[in-house]
Amino acid sequence: MNPAQDPAVVAQGLTKRFGHFVAVDHLDLSIARGEVMGFIGPNGAGKSTTIRMFCGLVTPSAGRATVAGFDVGSQSQAVREHIGYMSQKFSLYGDLTVAENLRFFGGIYRVPQQEMAERVAFALSMAGLEGRENALVATLAGGWKQRLALGCAILHRPPVLFLDEPTSGVEPEARRKFWDLIHQLAAGGVTILVSTHYMDEAEYCNRIALIDRGKLMAVGSPGELRTRELGGELVEVACAPLGAARTALLTAPGVVEAAIFGDKLHVVLGQGGLTSETLPDFLQTHGVQTGQIRDVVPSLEDVFVRIVSRAQDARSAA
Amino acid sequence: MNLRRLLAMAYKEALQIWRDPRSLAIALIMPLMQMGLLGYGVSLDIKHVPLCVYDQENSQLSRAIDSRFQAAGWFSITHVLHSQADLRNAMNAGQCIAAVVIPVDFSRHLASTGTASIQAIFDATDVNTTNIAQGYLQGVIAQTNAQIQAQWRAAHGVQPTLIGQVNLQPSTWFNETLDSRNFIIPGVVAVILALVGAQLTSLTVSREWERGTMEQLISTPVTALEVMLGKLLPYFVVGMVDAVVCLGLAVYWFGVPMRGNLVTLFAATALFSMVILGIGYLISVRIRSQLGASQIALLVTMLPTTLLSGYTFPIDQMPAPIQALTLIVYPRYYVTILRGIFLKGSGIADLWRPLLGLLIFAVVIVYLAARAFHKRLD
Amino acid sequence: MFERLRAMLMKEFLQIRRDRWAMFRLIVPMIIQMLVFGYAATFTVHHVATVVLDLDQSQASRSLISHFVASGRFDVVEAARSRAEVTHAIDNDVAVLAIVVHAGFQQDLQNGKGAPLQVIVDGTNSNTALIALGYISQIVAQFSSDEASRLMPPHASLAAPQTGISLQLQPWFNPGLEDRWFFIPGVIGSLTLLQVVSLTAFAIVREREVGTLEQIMVSPIRSVEFILGKTVPFFLIGLGDILLVSAIGILWFKVPFIGDPLVMLAGSMLFLLAAVGMGLLLSTFSKTQQQAFALNFFFVNPFFILSGFAFPIAAMPQVLQWFTLINPLRYFLVVIRAVFLKGVGFAVLWPDLTALAALAAVMLAVSVLRFRSSLDA
Repeated sequence: MNPAQDPAVVAQGLTKRFGHFVAVDHLDLSIARGEVMGFIGPNGAGKSTTIRMFCGLVTPSAGRATVAGFDVGSQSQAVREHIGYMSQKFSLYGDLTVAENLRFFGGIYRVPQQEMAERVAFALSMAGLEGRENALVATLAGGWKQRLALGCAILHRPPVLFLDEPTSGVEPEARRKFWDLIHQLAAGGVTILVSTHYMDEAEYCNRIALIDRGKLMAVGSPGELRTRELGGELVEVACAPLGAARTALLTAPGVVEAAIFGDKLHVVLGQGGLTSETLPDFLQTHGVQTGQIRDVVPSLEDVFVRIVSRAQDARSAA
Repeated sequence: MNLRRLLAMAYKEALQIWRDPRSLAIALIMPLMQMGLLGYGVSLDIKHVPLCVYDQENSQLSRAIDSRFQAAGWFSITHVLHSQADLRNAMNAGQCIAAVVIPVDFSRHLASTGTASIQAIFDATDVNTTNIAQGYLQGVIAQTNAQIQAQWRAAHGVQPTLIGQVNLQPSTWFNETLDSRNFIIPGVVAVILALVGAQLTSLTVSREWERGTMEQLISTPVTALEVMLGKLLPYFVVGMVDAVVCLGLAVYWFGVPMRGNLVTLFAATALFSMVILGIGYLISVRIRSQLGASQIALLVTMLPTTLLSGYTFPIDQMPAPIQALTLIVYPRYYVTILRGIFLKGSGIADLWRPLLGLLIFAVVIVYLAARAFHKRLD
Repeated sequence: MFERLRAMLMKEFLQIRRDRWAMFRLIVPMIIQMLVFGYAATFTVHHVATVVLDLDQSQASRSLISHFVASGRFDVVEAARSRAEVTHAIDNDVAVLAIVVHAGFQQDLQNGKGAPLQVIVDGTNSNTALIALGYISQIVAQFSSDEASRLMPPHASLAAPQTGISLQLQPWFNPGLEDRWFFIPGVIGSLTLLQVVSLTAFAIVREREVGTLEQIMVSPIRSVEFILGKTVPFFLIGLGDILLVSAIGILWFKVPFIGDPLVMLAGSMLFLLAAVGMGLLLSTFSKTQQQAFALNFFFVNPFFILSGFAFPIAAMPQVLQWFTLINPLRYFLVVIRAVFLKGVGFAVLWPDLTALAALAAVMLAVSVLRFRSSLDA
């Protein structure tokens, strides 16, 4: 095995229980080097707990995980030296200046003295805080704080970064800038696991892991998830009458889903069934006039909702 | 253990102390305030005991005796009473701590039999003051008696004889002026160190929990030991500076004699600081709310220090079971050492027992504190 | 008005019950102080550890020593054989007193030249030393007198009784000179002060900090009702404190209570008003509970120390004595001790009660004014 090809983060059956509550349920995951992996899921899904287990902050109840080749249970000290972490709650020292925070973390991570100045300068420019080194962090606005926190996390050039909802409560403009930084870092070979509950940010990731109720529901690139999980292509059909069209389509071969969307129908066409070309004729036979049909890109929100409701159906059927 | 990480922690902590007005106030103002309050307010020396005189005879002799009480300087006559009812009222109203009643036939009795008795009434609600006043009165009476006997003998042509007479030659060691200040102020230093140290350190970990910076901190490679030592180092320095200031005030402002060895003094102070800081840290780790931590710290340091360390109430006069209890009241050892060094000029040879006690406490507490902090969230 | 007040009181009591720290703050200091002041606190000299160096070894010297022992206040812990041993004993806190009887003591007594007796006292604890010296001179005087009457032939006309004036000691109000009769009434006052002030201040500041203060101000409640709602519970708790500690003092520690309960009640209520006023005042200066805690300590501590609860006001420098004139605890302690031990009533205590009332009025007025203006801001 080529060590350079080894995945940066591996979880096998990772589980965490708090009393009777199972926060993380047998999670299996593998993140490749240089990958940007997104953790998507609702609040309380177990994203933060999983990340904390990766960082060695919380002991797994069962299963194991390795980060940068080190086991999180038995080699947590080594893990900490090779990761950068941004916790969900902003956690830099408000009563210290920008520079003092940077120097503190530099010292804690033992950034070599000869590199300190350069790394601090890099972090400052990355955060856009040049010239504001002596500002007390408490006086900075949300976006600047987040970028500074990221800067503090990468001073020691960690191969793996864990960012727990780094953009929550930050203005959209700042969020975009933040993701630019993430991609910049990933381009340099850093493996990054980001958790977020903004679905649009999921698009920025190489792959996404969907977490709900402590379980890994789906893993894949945004494109894969759309096709795979949705079960087909999504088309928007302008037709009338809508009700009859819908009823008819639900009986048609290969139609995964048909839903009324405003004054149109959203239809998911699976493999081996109706296509955009054959659809109008099918509807014709049911007395429905078809207008324009166009492809619609499903949002990840759609995908996620689909996955979750499927799981819910499975649970209630069981 | 990595020195660089430890120093980074210590430097950050120092910056935070410097920027927090509350911490500064506790570190700088509180010691001075307590020094003034306790140094001046806590005293048992009553110089001019309020005295009432009820002279039923009002003769030349009795009035001479009346003025003796005042002349001695221990009493000041605040009321001259003229009836039993007056006496009752004065005592009830707390107008005098002691009252002397000279009976109607005082001179006559003394002249004929050579003896006479005076009633000495005390407001014994304050037991200590009563004891002291009693001693003063006895002193005045003894002097008076000596004079009376001499006069008696002269009047009867009897040679003065000292048969059976014992000349008491008391000498007081260590606190020759018997100033209660010399007794109390060394203990005040212990109280201040305990108060300031515990209040400051009890916040250090709980503050990081409350602000959320703790999670970030424990995700870094810094070890639990480095966190503890790094956090406590600046407080140790602050504590020692405070100690120097307070000890300096004790010697140069309050005039408490300093006869012993400074090195031993600082060694003991360092040990005591370690105990206090360890306790504060332990509290801070266990209790994640700053407010709760401060309150427990106050309880655990101030109460034993002020009540059971011997700083005010002498341990050797307490009932035996409580004396045994004070063996775990760690400030007791430091107070003993302070008094020994200040007043007795004791050195390590004399003080090895309390020093050992402090050392044991320091080791145990620091060990517990180091173990208490886990770099985990659960 | 009473409806809203009742609602506020209910809420307040519920919060107090659920607040673990409040309960802790209430109970633990009470237990500790009662234990310490009931059992440990004493300035009295019960026994003095004594080392004896008897170089005379005569009947007289032994008689002298037994006079000391017989008084019950001196424990001979060591019989030294040399001066060095005496020094060692005093230096190492083995003994606080040394009696050195030189060789030839008995001889000197009989010769009529006067026998010197050296007595060394460890002055470290000056209070103990002072009192001990008092006992020592008395015992020595008694011994001299006994020796003189034993040694001198009884000449009828020359009989010169050595006694002269004697003092009949009559301690009033506390004939047994029990320390706890002094301290426990003090605990009643000091404990109540500490608790009521801090509870009141914290309760108000907590609402300010958490933000519920704003919420309440938006409701139809009037500021008077709010203030009452915030202070009445602690007034009641304070009253409960006083009753509880008094009961423990009387029933367990057997401190006598010979006065009029009504006077005690009047004094208690006035004092509690002052305490609540103080808590209210402190709360107007604090925005967070942390600040309240710090201010609390800063201000209540001096009131506590400089009150006469343990250290006599007469022993303080003049400036501090003047300070005690505005300390409600000072007056309350006078009232408590007078009611418990002296059995006096309004006739004697009216100056102190008036002072308490005045202080309470001023503190409440100032704090209510400040409070209302801070609410309107």
